[in-house]
Amino acid sequence: MGIKRGVSLYSYQQTQFFRQMTWKDQIVEVHDNLKTDGIEIIDQTVIRDYPFPSDAFVYEWNNFMARYNMKAVTQDIYLDTMQFRDHVMNHEEAALRLKTDIKLAAALGFQNVRCLCAIPIDVIEMALPTAEKYNVRIGKEIHAPFPIKSKGRENVQPAHGMMINVHMCEEIMELADRTGSKHVGLVPDFGIFQFRPSDVAVAYTKRHVNSPDAVDFVLENNAIYSEEEMQKLVDEKFPGNGFTPMTVHGLMLHKSSAEPEDLREIVPYIVSMHGKFYHMTEIPGEPGHYEDASINYADPIRILNEEGFTGYIDSEYEGQRHQQDRGMAYLPNEVEEVRRHHEMLQRLFDATPNKADK
Amino acid sequence: MFDSYLIREDSLENFVCPESGKVLGFKFAVRIADYRGCILSLHNGYYITVDGVEYPRELQRFQVNGKAPRDFEEIKKCVWEHWNYDDEAYVYVEKEGGLEPGVHHIGLMQSVLAQYGYAPHDEEWIKNPPVPGKGAGAGKTQFVCYYDLELQK
Repeated sequence: MGIKRGVSLYSYQQTQFFRQMTWKDQIVEVHDNLKTDGIEIIDQTVIRDYPFPSDAFVYEWNNFMARYNMKAVTQDIYLDTMQFRDHVMNHEEAALRLKTDIKLAAALGFQNVRCLCAIPIDVIEMALPTAEKYNVRIGKEIHAPFPIKSKGRENVQPAHGMMINVHMCEEIMELADRTGSKHVGLVPDFGIFQFRPSDVAVAYTKRHVNSPDAVDFVLENNAIYSEEEMQKLVDEKFPGNGFTPMTVHGLMLHKSSAEPEDLREIVPYIVSMHGKFYHMTEIPGEPGHYEDASINYADPIRILNEEGFTGYIDSEYEGQRHQQDRGMAYLPNEVEEVRRHHEMLQRLFDATPNKADK
Repeated sequence: MFDSYLIREDSLENFVCPESGKVLGFKFAVRIADYRGCILSLHNGYYITVDGVEYPRELQRFQVNGKAPRDFEEIKKCVWEHWNYDDEAYVYVEKEGGLEPGVHHIGLMQSVLAQYGYAPHDEEWIKNPPVPGKGAGAGKTQFVCYYDLELQK
């Protein structure tokens, strides 16, 4: 048994953008070279004419997946609250979109849909009977900067972006326990174990500001100052730094948003996981072994083994977006990045025994 | 994301009125600045500058899915149509006489109101959609990208 390896085709978004690989080529890569079977997709990237694909597409998808004996693990779904443009979607309409996505996932053979952090819990509850009927689990993503456990903290409304509901995981577990449903759970993203900005994001930022020294200053001092204090400080110390309103924000990460130990409690509720990463580099002194130096994988995987997790971790490569500001020669190789990520995953899976094997 | 690749470099052309043969403006081919396609109604237009001159949303039309170019008031109503991730679209910009031959410096920022769920600005953006170019609604590429493109004949 043990933990299983999969790939979110999100990882190959750039290769698809440049028409170097279709979704079929991507599946073949997972099958032939990664020697595994788990497939996750972004609905609106793979499903042509979402949300109403042709029967021909659905047939072709199922046929291709079956031919290679692949598992459709998770379909990632979204909620565009302004879709109708004349009003903000109400919760019934949001639930209708979720139900439509569940039916579509079922038609494509997916076991799970991944919904986002900002989907209200009542919307998920409204769609739960549909999830039961179609035997598709709804997994709510735990994405940075969300924690796993609230630990007495209050919800946070940051200056940029959505409110951080620190009780999100507790709400999902409460819903699952109260209804007894096995069709609602969580999709933790390894981004919650990222403890510093990735080197590719830092390099991108340095290419686009006037003061690369100011970037280093923020990185060296981001544990001491608040974001607001830091903004003031860099503007004083580095006039004309060329920072945008988001620059400091993107450099402040110094502590992961969740603790690996917190995984223990949620393992029974995990439907699948996102193996977020930005850049796989060779571990010094260990030829052929790779790591993402900004994300803690070893501790969470050890804990998942100890708790007997046997679901999928699907690679989610996201470093490409920080390297698309120059010529084609600078574009990263997504296929190679994912291969390295799978080297790391399998090595860490094998490093400790999985409780389910006993 | 896709900073350098949102406009196809050999796609800048003038376009003419099929009846009169008069040059009505210019067009270029674009891709979505995101890792997923979008529900077409969420496309809110572009911030576009050519050689320092701004061409607001009212002068723009969007051609996708094999249909004739549509202005963004019409696009707003396409709540069940999808701009597929794989597909190129054309932006048409009204400018009498079109662009002069040669290389033009083009600035572009897309505004697509796709979201990850409810956000504090939702009601406000229904009433007053952000004006493209301000960063709001710019999705994954929240700044103006610049391209030096030669006008094709």
